[in-house]
Amino acid sequence: MDLYLTSEQALLRDSAAKFIEAAGPKAARGFRAQDPSFSAPRLRHAGELGWLGILVPGAAGGLGLGLTELALVLEQAGRGLVCEPIGLAAISAAALGQGRTPHPVLDRAMTGAALIVPAFQESAHGDDPLAPRTHVAGEDGALRLTGKKMFVCADGADGFLVNARGRDGPALCYVARNAPGCTLSRTQTVEGRKLATLTLTDAPADLIPPHSSSRNAVDALHNLVLLALSSELLGVMEKANEITLDYLRLRKQFGKPIGSFQALQHQAANIYVRIEATRSLVFQIAANNDAFCIDPATAIALKAKASEDAMIVTEACIQLHGAIGFTDEHDIGLYLKRAMLLSALFGNAAAQRRRYIAAADLTA
Amino acid sequence: MFRRDALDEAQYRMDVRTWLEANLPVALRGRTTRPSPLELMPWYHTLSRKGWIAPHWPRQYGGMGATLNEQIIMAEELARIGAPHLPVQGLNHIGPILMEFGTAAQKAQHLPPIIAGTVIWAQGYSEPGAGSDLASLSTRATLEGDHFVVQGHKIWTTWAHHSDWMFALVRTDPRAQPRQAGISFLLVDLRSPGIRISPIKTIAGDDEFSEVFLDEVIVPAENLVGKLNDGWRIANALLGHERLATSNPQFSLTALERIKTMARASGIIADPAFQDRLAAASINVTALSAMFSHAVELTNHEKSLGPESSVIKIFGSELLQALNDLLIEAAGGHALADRPIATDFGEVDVATPFLQSRRVTIYGGSSEIQRNVLARRVLDLPT
Repeated sequence: MDLYLTSEQALLRDSAAKFIEAAGPKAARGFRAQDPSFSAPRLRHAGELGWLGILVPGAAGGLGLGLTELALVLEQAGRGLVCEPIGLAAISAAALGQGRTPHPVLDRAMTGAALIVPAFQESAHGDDPLAPRTHVAGEDGALRLTGKKMFVCADGADGFLVNARGRDGPALCYVARNAPGCTLSRTQTVEGRKLATLTLTDAPADLIPPHSSSRNAVDALHNLVLLALSSELLGVMEKANEITLDYLRLRKQFGKPIGSFQALQHQAANIYVRIEATRSLVFQIAANNDAFCIDPATAIALKAKASEDAMIVTEACIQLHGAIGFTDEHDIGLYLKRAMLLSALFGNAAAQRRRYIAAADLTA
Repeated sequence: MFRRDALDEAQYRMDVRTWLEANLPVALRGRTTRPSPLELMPWYHTLSRKGWIAPHWPRQYGGMGATLNEQIIMAEELARIGAPHLPVQGLNHIGPILMEFGTAAQKAQHLPPIIAGTVIWAQGYSEPGAGSDLASLSTRATLEGDHFVVQGHKIWTTWAHHSDWMFALVRTDPRAQPRQAGISFLLVDLRSPGIRISPIKTIAGDDEFSEVFLDEVIVPAENLVGKLNDGWRIANALLGHERLATSNPQFSLTALERIKTMARASGIIADPAFQDRLAAASINVTALSAMFSHAVELTNHEKSLGPESSVIKIFGSELLQALNDLLIEAAGGHALADRPIATDFGEVDVATPFLQSRRVTIYGGSSEIQRNVLARRVLDLPT
């Protein structure tokens, strides 16, 4: 289904679509196992276009736009298999700029000169972000972080936003990558980029205060992460589906295009229904929530749905391609792997469902 | 839900909730069998007097002209209190069709009684030989001077035996090719001589369905809607609206509440495997609400949904069945009871809504037909 967009929103989407024309499967293939696994100049280009400061208020140098605009850009990034971590960078910038006084690294985060990403996960299955084991000690101005974060998108990162248990509850902290007591151990993924375990031992950190409309800075950023990843998953599904539909129209067997067979048509229809469900969720949540105060249960529901749908859709796309879909040479496999990565980050579908039970008060 | 109410919306929600609490008869709350029109119409009349019977109709025709969010809030509050589902053929089907295609006289005659609830409508589309292949329908209407003579047989007609009027697709040109080009849209007074109506018992034990036999029924020519042989287009023009209306998340929200009550009563609510399935189902209900809002929003901006509406029909109907599967699971051995089960949390009907739900992937175009529509008309796959 079409979206109802303002002309400014449509322009933004089109300029994002133009940006990704230069990305796409070929570029994504080239970045596999590289260090970093994206182009630093292109991240700065995204900064010049304003996308890294998309949620940052105009007074702090950002575009001051909302969640719909963020989702439109990230949907395009997913479609283009863009390797520059625009989504994580943009929401981190939003967090850095949300206090009365922006964090000093904000300007560089918005231009793409510095890459800051959230580091929340402490186990394989996504945790309650408000109950981390990592803790922060010391007085304001001399905070120290100790703990371990897993599955961090640390490729090319210059700093991290870490959730930690503090004296007054969960706190959001900034720690520089080169801070003393901050070490990274990296693992290569099948998707192409590396994920890292971040170990913090008495690492000096800065407190990131909440936005005036947030319940809590950790909660607000976590909900933004879920929306950002889901928007990208939506784009991944859309493009994989389009590639597959083209194949169904062209590929002939039994003397006819295979897309004329009802068994395959119904599979294609199932894929489309899943994509539309996630699309409606992404854009309805985006349209109806303040960027710094997204309802946690709906954000969890969205990530659960997007993660599950993206896996099922990209798996089905490979099946519809037949043997060629199983080759590394064909692009469709890249979409499955991107779906694997984004689905797993910050908790996969099963992990989100587990959290949803409490968040939505289902058993009360 | 996926959104929070604005201040004025929250007030509106409280007004709706308070009014429903005060005015919906307790006997009609949380019912799983759809009460017959005889039992329902007093409640229909109450809503009508309040001016709330047709939130989605424009004010000029007696509707509320409600905003999208008000419509959704109303649906959510109706679900919350367990309000029964009203006869919809007038409100959701023929009403909007007449607004778009009817003559001034047809609108004046038929729209006010729908709002007032003094006339009940039935839909005469399916025939014994024309189900999924609806264009093969053979009920004949022959124009003779100032009237049609109608001869044929309609089936699966919901509540025809309680209805006053039927809107029907009839064949007016048996030689037309394609067959769709020989079909017209007629309004038939069910009290006309030559009509015989025979109820059909369903697997859910009710007799919502009927067969309608038409034997040389005289229908005045002014009861033709639109032009002669243009009925297929008229019936299809608002299919998007119909699919949207039948996919209202109210049905799924009601089902979800019923599952939670049953699961608490049976104790399975504490089982992690069940909780996972409940979470998945509940997340899909949220997705349906989002799809519904998205679709209504587009419709409000006058972008017709067209074949895209098959998406929400498939998703909504299959979700409702999945929810009822979960209800059966929550009830365990109680699932077979032929009447509502008494629990510490109130009465819960299980078998009946489960059995009722089997129809939703069949009526209004089966899920398989919807997938054909998507494949050909939206995804542009070859034939």
